Amino acid sequence: MSGPGPSRRVAWLVLGVIVIVALAVALWPRGGVERESDHVRRLASEFRCVDCEGLSVADSATASARIQRRDIAERVRRGDSDEAIRGWYVAKFRESVLLKPSSRGVGVVVWALPVLVLLLGGAALAFALRRWSRQPRLTPSPEDVTFVASRRSDGPDERGPGERGPDERGPDERGA
Amino acid sequence: MKHPLRLAALGVGLVVAVFAVILALNVGTDPRAEYNTSLLLGEPAPDFRLTRLDGSTLTLGDLAGKTVIVNFWNSWCLPCRDELPALQKWNAQHADDDSVVMVGIPRDDSTGAIRAAARSDQMTWAVVNDRGAEAATLDYATRGQPETFVINPSGIVVGSILGPMRPADLDRMTRVGQGGR
Repeated sequence: MSGPGPSRRVAWLVLGVIVIVALAVALWPRGGVERESDHVRRLASEFRCVDCEGLSVADSATASARIQRRDIAERVRRGDSDEAIRGWYVAKFRESVLLKPSSRGVGVVVWALPVLVLLLGGAALAFALRRWSRQPRLTPSPEDVTFVASRRSDGPDERGPGERGPDERGPDERGA
Repeated sequence: MKHPLRLAALGVGLVVAVFAVILALNVGTDPRAEYNTSLLLGEPAPDFRLTRLDGSTLTLGDLAGKTVIVNFWNSWCLPCRDELPALQKWNAQHADDDSVVMVGIPRDDSTGAIRAAARSDQMTWAVVNDRGAEAATLDYATRGQPETFVINPSGIVVGSILGPMRPADLDRMTRVGQGGR
Protein backbone atom coordinates (compact mmCIF):
# COMPACT_ATOMS: atom_id res chain seq x y z
CA MET A 1 0.00 0.00 0.00
CA SER A 2 1.51 3.36 -0.96
CA GLY A 3 1.47 6.30 1.56
CA PRO A 4 -0.30 9.61 1.14
CA GLY A 5 0.81 11.81 -1.74
CA PRO A 6 3.24 14.72 -1.17
CA SER A 7 0.52 17.37 -1.41
CA ARG A 8 -1.51 15.63 1.27
CA ARG A 9 1.56 15.41 3.51
CA VAL A 10 2.18 19.16 3.06
CA ALA A 11 -1.46 19.88 3.94
CA TRP A 12 -1.17 17.85 7.17
CA LEU A 13 2.12 19.57 7.98
CA VAL A 14 0.60 23.05 7.47
CA LEU A 15 -2.41 22.06 9.61
CA GLY A 16 -0.09 20.82 12.36
CA VAL A 17 1.93 24.04 12.32
CA ILE A 18 -1.26 26.13 12.50
CA VAL A 19 -2.54 24.13 15.49
CA ILE A 20 0.79 24.40 17.33
CA VAL A 21 1.08 28.16 16.68
CA ALA A 22 -2.55 28.73 17.78
CA LEU A 23 -1.97 26.78 21.01
CA ALA A 24 1.28 28.64 21.69
CA VAL A 25 -0.39 32.03 21.19
CA ALA A 26 -3.35 31.04 23.40
CA LEU A 27 -1.23 29.63 26.22
CA TRP A 28 1.67 32.09 26.14
CA PRO A 29 1.73 34.14 29.36
CA ARG A 30 0.76 37.75 28.81
CA GLY A 31 3.57 40.18 29.40
CA GLY A 32 3.51 43.33 31.49
CA VAL A 33 2.75 44.00 35.14
CA GLU A 34 -0.85 43.40 36.18
CA ARG A 35 -2.53 46.47 37.66
CA GLU A 36 -3.91 46.10 41.18
CA SER A 37 -7.50 46.66 40.06
CA ASP A 38 -7.10 43.98 37.37
CA HIS A 39 -5.56 41.66 39.94
CA VAL A 40 -8.50 42.18 42.32
CA ARG A 41 -11.01 41.70 39.52
CA ARG A 42 -9.28 38.54 38.31
CA LEU A 43 -9.36 37.03 41.79
CA ALA A 44 -12.92 38.21 42.47
CA SER A 45 -14.06 36.56 39.26
CA GLU A 46 -12.78 33.22 40.59
CA PHE A 47 -15.14 33.26 43.58
CA ARG A 48 -18.83 32.46 43.59
CA CYS A 49 -21.06 35.15 45.07
CA VAL A 50 -22.43 33.52 48.25
CA ASP A 51 -25.87 35.13 48.21
CA CYS A 52 -26.80 34.98 44.54
CA GLU A 53 -27.08 32.30 41.88
CA GLY A 54 -24.38 31.70 39.32
CA LEU A 55 -22.57 35.04 39.54
CA SER A 56 -19.01 35.74 40.53
CA VAL A 57 -18.01 38.14 43.29
CA ALA A 58 -16.67 40.41 40.54
CA ASP A 59 -20.01 40.56 38.71
CA SER A 60 -22.50 40.65 41.57
CA ALA A 61 -23.92 43.77 43.23
CA THR A 62 -25.00 42.11 46.48
CA ALA A 63 -23.75 43.20 49.91
CA SER A 64 -21.73 39.99 50.26
CA ALA A 65 -20.01 40.56 46.92
CA ARG A 66 -19.22 44.19 47.80
CA ILE A 67 -17.75 43.14 51.14
CA GLN A 68 -15.70 40.39 49.53
CA ARG A 69 -14.41 42.66 46.75
CA ARG A 70 -13.20 45.14 49.39
CA ASP A 71 -11.65 42.30 51.37
CA ILE A 72 -9.86 40.83 48.33
CA ALA A 73 -8.53 44.31 47.46
CA GLU A 74 -7.27 44.71 51.01
CA ARG A 75 -5.54 41.31 50.93
CA VAL A 76 -3.95 42.07 47.56
CA ARG A 77 -2.74 45.45 48.86
CA ARG A 78 -1.06 43.89 51.86
CA GLY A 79 0.71 41.41 49.61
CA ASP A 80 -1.14 38.12 50.25
CA SER A 81 -0.51 35.57 47.51
CA ASP A 82 -3.36 34.45 45.27
CA GLU A 83 -3.05 30.96 46.75
CA ALA A 84 -3.35 32.33 50.30
CA ILE A 85 -6.45 34.36 49.37
CA ARG A 86 -8.07 31.35 47.66
CA GLY A 87 -7.17 29.19 50.67
CA TRP A 88 -8.76 31.65 53.12
CA TYR A 89 -12.02 31.79 51.15
CA VAL A 90 -12.20 28.01 50.72
CA ALA A 91 -11.57 27.54 54.46
CA LYS A 92 -14.38 30.00 55.26
CA PHE A 93 -16.95 29.14 52.60
CA ARG A 94 -16.02 25.59 51.46
CA GLU A 95 -14.68 24.44 48.11
CA SER A 96 -17.95 25.43 46.43
CA VAL A 97 -16.96 29.10 46.70
CA LEU A 98 -14.58 28.49 43.78
CA LEU A 99 -16.26 28.91 40.40
CA LYS A 100 -13.54 26.76 38.83
CA PRO A 101 -13.30 23.39 40.58
CA SER A 102 -9.96 22.76 42.22
CA SER A 103 -7.67 19.99 41.03
CA ARG A 104 -7.78 18.27 44.41
CA GLY A 105 -10.26 15.80 45.92
CA VAL A 106 -13.49 15.31 44.00
CA GLY A 107 -12.45 18.19 41.76
CA VAL A 108 -9.95 15.85 40.11
CA VAL A 109 -12.83 13.83 38.66
CA VAL A 110 -14.30 16.92 37.02
CA TRP A 111 -11.00 17.66 35.30
CA ALA A 112 -9.98 14.07 34.57
CA LEU A 113 -13.25 12.66 33.25
CA PRO A 114 -13.39 14.62 29.95
CA VAL A 115 -9.72 13.78 29.30
CA LEU A 116 -10.34 10.09 30.04
CA VAL A 117 -13.42 9.97 27.82
CA LEU A 118 -11.52 11.79 25.07
CA LEU A 119 -8.61 9.35 25.33
CA LEU A 120 -10.88 6.29 25.33
CA GLY A 121 -12.88 7.70 22.41
CA GLY A 122 -9.67 8.41 20.49
CA ALA A 123 -8.41 4.91 21.19
CA ALA A 124 -11.70 3.43 19.99
CA LEU A 125 -11.53 5.51 16.81
CA ALA A 126 -7.93 4.46 16.20
CA PHE A 127 -8.87 0.78 16.65
CA ALA A 128 -11.80 1.16 14.28
CA LEU A 129 -9.74 2.92 11.61
CA ARG A 130 -7.00 0.29 11.86
CA ARG A 131 -9.49 -2.52 11.55
CA TRP A 132 -11.14 -0.94 8.54
CA SER A 133 -7.77 -0.34 6.84
CA ARG A 134 -6.82 -4.00 7.38
CA GLN A 135 -10.02 -5.41 5.93
CA PRO A 136 -9.34 -7.00 2.49
CA ARG A 137 -10.77 -5.01 -0.38
CA LEU A 138 -13.00 -6.94 -2.79
CA THR A 139 -10.98 -7.78 -5.88
CA PRO A 140 -12.64 -8.93 -9.15
CA SER A 141 -12.43 -12.64 -9.88
CA PRO A 142 -11.15 -13.77 -13.34
CA GLU A 143 -14.76 -14.60 -14.13
CA ASP A 144 -15.80 -10.97 -13.37
CA VAL A 145 -13.01 -9.60 -15.53
CA THR A 146 -13.97 -11.82 -18.46
CA PHE A 147 -17.62 -10.89 -18.11
CA VAL A 148 -16.97 -7.14 -17.98
CA ALA A 149 -14.60 -7.38 -20.95
CA SER A 150 -17.18 -9.31 -22.96
CA ARG A 151 -19.93 -6.82 -22.16
CA ARG A 152 -17.70 -3.91 -23.09
CA SER A 153 -16.86 -5.47 -26.43
CA ASP A 154 -20.59 -6.02 -27.16
CA GLY A 155 -21.40 -2.33 -26.67
CA PRO A 156 -23.88 -0.80 -24.20
CA ASP A 157 -26.79 -3.05 -23.20
CA GLU A 158 -30.03 -1.08 -22.89
CA ARG A 159 -31.97 -4.00 -21.37
CA GLY A 160 -32.65 -4.16 -17.63
CA PRO A 161 -31.44 -7.04 -15.41
CA GLY A 162 -34.86 -8.76 -15.57
CA GLU A 163 -34.81 -8.79 -19.39
CA ARG A 164 -31.45 -10.56 -19.69
CA GLY A 165 -31.14 -14.37 -19.84
CA PRO A 166 -29.43 -16.34 -17.01
CA ASP A 167 -26.18 -16.69 -19.00
CA GLU A 168 -26.04 -12.97 -19.68
CA ARG A 169 -26.22 -11.95 -16.04
CA GLY A 170 -23.08 -10.84 -14.28
CA PRO A 171 -21.62 -12.81 -11.35
CA ASP A 172 -23.17 -10.41 -8.84
CA GLU A 173 -26.67 -10.83 -10.32
CA ARG A 174 -26.60 -14.64 -10.45
CA GLY A 175 -26.95 -15.30 -6.81
CA ALA A 176 -29.84 -12.89 -6.48
CA MET B 1 -8.19 -8.37 21.15
CA LYS B 2 -11.26 -9.48 19.27
CA HIS B 3 -13.63 -6.56 19.93
CA PRO B 4 -11.61 -3.43 20.69
CA LEU B 5 -14.59 -1.15 20.02
CA ARG B 6 -16.75 -3.06 22.46
CA LEU B 7 -13.97 -2.87 25.06
CA ALA B 8 -13.56 0.88 24.53
CA ALA B 9 -17.33 1.40 24.88
CA LEU B 10 -17.24 -0.68 28.05
CA GLY B 11 -14.36 1.47 29.34
CA VAL B 12 -16.25 4.72 28.65
CA GLY B 13 -19.35 3.28 30.32
CA LEU B 14 -17.31 2.22 33.33
CA VAL B 15 -15.72 5.67 33.71
CA VAL B 16 -19.13 7.37 33.46
CA ALA B 17 -20.56 4.93 36.03
CA VAL B 18 -17.66 5.60 38.45
CA PHE B 19 -18.17 9.34 37.96
CA ALA B 20 -21.90 8.99 38.67
CA VAL B 21 -21.20 7.04 41.87
CA ILE B 22 -18.66 9.64 43.07
CA LEU B 23 -21.12 12.45 42.35
CA ALA B 24 -23.97 10.61 44.07
CA LEU B 25 -21.82 10.10 47.17
CA ASN B 26 -20.69 13.72 47.29
CA VAL B 27 -23.81 15.60 46.29
CA GLY B 28 -26.75 15.48 48.67
CA THR B 29 -30.38 15.36 47.65
CA ASP B 30 -30.96 18.85 49.03
CA PRO B 31 -28.87 21.33 47.05
CA ARG B 32 -29.34 23.98 49.77
CA ALA B 33 -28.34 21.68 52.65
CA GLU B 34 -24.64 22.56 52.53
CA TYR B 35 -25.43 26.22 51.97
CA ASN B 36 -27.70 26.36 55.03
CA THR B 37 -25.11 24.86 57.35
CA SER B 38 -22.41 27.13 58.72
CA LEU B 39 -18.90 25.75 58.88
CA LEU B 40 -18.56 27.51 62.23
CA LEU B 41 -20.92 25.12 64.01
CA GLY B 42 -19.01 23.45 66.83
CA GLU B 43 -16.03 25.77 66.33
CA PRO B 44 -14.77 28.55 68.59
CA ALA B 45 -16.53 31.78 67.61
CA PRO B 46 -14.25 34.22 65.80
CA ASP B 47 -13.37 37.12 68.06
CA PHE B 48 -14.48 40.59 67.07
CA ARG B 49 -13.61 44.10 68.11
CA LEU B 50 -16.39 46.52 67.31
CA THR B 51 -17.49 50.04 68.14
CA ARG B 52 -20.99 50.51 69.49
CA LEU B 53 -23.16 53.41 68.42
CA ASP B 54 -22.40 55.15 71.73
CA GLY B 55 -18.68 54.99 70.94
CA SER B 56 -17.72 52.24 73.40
CA THR B 57 -15.77 49.20 72.27
CA LEU B 58 -17.23 45.72 72.31
CA THR B 59 -15.25 42.50 71.97
CA LEU B 60 -16.39 38.91 72.16
CA GLY B 61 -14.02 38.51 75.10
CA ASP B 62 -16.11 41.06 77.03
CA LEU B 63 -19.06 38.70 76.72
CA ALA B 64 -17.26 35.56 77.93
CA GLY B 65 -19.47 33.34 80.07
CA LYS B 66 -22.66 34.57 78.43
CA THR B 67 -24.84 33.14 75.70
CA VAL B 68 -24.40 35.53 72.78
CA ILE B 69 -26.82 35.94 69.91
CA VAL B 70 -25.02 37.58 66.98
CA ASN B 71 -27.42 38.97 64.42
CA PHE B 72 -26.07 40.23 61.08
CA TRP B 73 -28.46 42.67 59.46
CA ASN B 74 -28.82 45.77 57.29
CA SER B 75 -31.25 48.65 57.57
CA TRP B 76 -32.22 48.31 53.88
CA CYS B 77 -32.84 44.57 54.08
CA LEU B 78 -36.56 43.67 53.98
CA PRO B 79 -36.21 40.18 55.52
CA CYS B 80 -34.29 41.89 58.36
CA ARG B 81 -37.29 44.12 58.94
CA ASP B 82 -39.52 41.02 58.88
CA GLU B 83 -37.65 39.50 61.81
CA LEU B 84 -37.41 42.75 63.77
CA PRO B 85 -40.53 42.05 65.90
CA ALA B 86 -38.99 38.72 66.98
CA LEU B 87 -35.76 40.46 68.00
CA GLN B 88 -37.66 43.17 69.88
CA LYS B 89 -39.77 40.58 71.69
CA TRP B 90 -36.70 38.52 72.63
CA ASN B 91 -34.89 41.64 73.86
CA ALA B 92 -37.84 42.65 76.06
CA GLN B 93 -38.10 39.12 77.51
CA HIS B 94 -34.40 39.05 78.42
CA ALA B 95 -34.02 42.67 79.54
CA ASP B 96 -33.20 41.58 83.09
CA ASP B 97 -31.25 38.44 82.17
CA ASP B 98 -27.49 39.00 82.36
CA SER B 99 -26.67 35.53 81.08
CA VAL B 100 -27.72 36.28 77.51
CA VAL B 101 -26.91 39.18 75.22
CA MET B 102 -27.68 40.11 71.63
CA VAL B 103 -25.28 41.90 69.29
CA GLY B 104 -26.50 43.43 66.02
CA ILE B 105 -23.79 43.73 63.37
CA PRO B 106 -24.64 45.54 60.11
CA ARG B 107 -23.05 43.84 57.10
CA ASP B 108 -22.94 46.65 54.57
CA ASP B 109 -24.64 49.85 55.59
CA SER B 110 -24.07 53.57 56.18
CA THR B 111 -23.58 55.05 59.65
CA GLY B 112 -26.57 57.37 59.22
CA ALA B 113 -28.90 54.56 58.20
CA ILE B 114 -27.74 52.36 61.08
CA ARG B 115 -28.28 55.14 63.63
CA ALA B 116 -31.68 56.01 62.20
CA ALA B 117 -32.83 52.39 62.17
CA ALA B 118 -31.57 51.74 65.71
CA ARG B 119 -33.44 54.79 66.95
CA SER B 120 -36.71 54.34 65.07
CA ASP B 121 -36.89 50.57 65.63
CA GLN B 122 -35.98 50.71 69.35
CA MET B 123 -32.96 48.45 68.84
CA THR B 124 -31.80 48.67 72.41
CA TRP B 125 -29.45 45.71 72.13
CA ALA B 126 -25.77 46.19 71.32
CA VAL B 127 -25.68 47.60 67.80
CA VAL B 128 -22.25 48.26 66.37
CA ASN B 129 -21.00 50.33 63.51
CA ASP B 130 -17.47 50.44 62.18
CA ARG B 131 -15.08 48.75 59.80
CA GLY B 132 -14.68 45.93 62.32
CA ALA B 133 -18.23 44.92 61.45
CA GLU B 134 -17.10 44.09 57.94
CA ALA B 135 -14.26 41.94 59.28
CA ALA B 136 -16.74 40.13 61.54
CA THR B 137 -19.04 39.62 58.56
CA LEU B 138 -16.23 37.80 56.79
CA ASP B 139 -14.88 35.99 59.85
CA TYR B 140 -18.33 34.55 60.48
CA ALA B 141 -18.54 33.63 56.77
CA THR B 142 -21.99 35.17 56.55
CA ARG B 143 -23.90 34.31 53.40
CA GLY B 144 -26.53 37.01 53.44
CA GLN B 145 -28.73 38.98 55.79
CA PRO B 146 -30.25 38.41 58.18
CA GLU B 147 -28.03 35.64 59.50
CA THR B 148 -27.87 34.80 63.17
CA PHE B 149 -25.37 32.80 65.22
CA VAL B 150 -25.63 31.62 68.79
CA ILE B 151 -22.47 31.31 70.87
CA ASN B 152 -22.53 29.37 74.12
CA PRO B 153 -20.85 30.61 77.35
CA SER B 154 -17.72 28.63 76.41
CA GLY B 155 -17.37 30.63 73.20
CA ILE B 156 -18.43 27.84 70.81
CA VAL B 157 -20.82 28.48 67.92
CA VAL B 158 -23.73 26.12 68.62
CA GLY B 159 -26.35 27.35 66.17
CA SER B 160 -26.94 29.46 63.08
CA ILE B 161 -29.93 30.50 61.02
CA LEU B 162 -29.78 32.10 57.61
CA GLY B 163 -32.90 34.14 56.92
CA PRO B 164 -35.51 35.86 59.07
CA MET B 165 -36.25 34.30 62.45
CA ARG B 166 -39.53 33.87 64.25
CA PRO B 167 -39.75 34.24 68.04
CA ALA B 168 -39.74 30.42 68.37
CA ASP B 169 -36.42 30.24 66.47
CA LEU B 170 -34.84 32.74 68.84
CA ASP B 171 -36.17 30.90 71.90
CA ARG B 172 -34.80 27.61 70.56
CA MET B 173 -31.41 29.20 69.77
CA THR B 174 -31.25 30.67 73.25
CA ARG B 175 -31.99 27.29 74.82
CA VAL B 176 -29.32 25.64 72.65
CA GLY B 177 -26.87 28.37 73.64
CA GLN B 178 -27.63 27.79 77.30
CA GLY B 179 -26.95 24.08 76.87
CA GLY B 180 -30.53 22.91 76.60
CA ARG B 181 -32.41 21.42 73.65
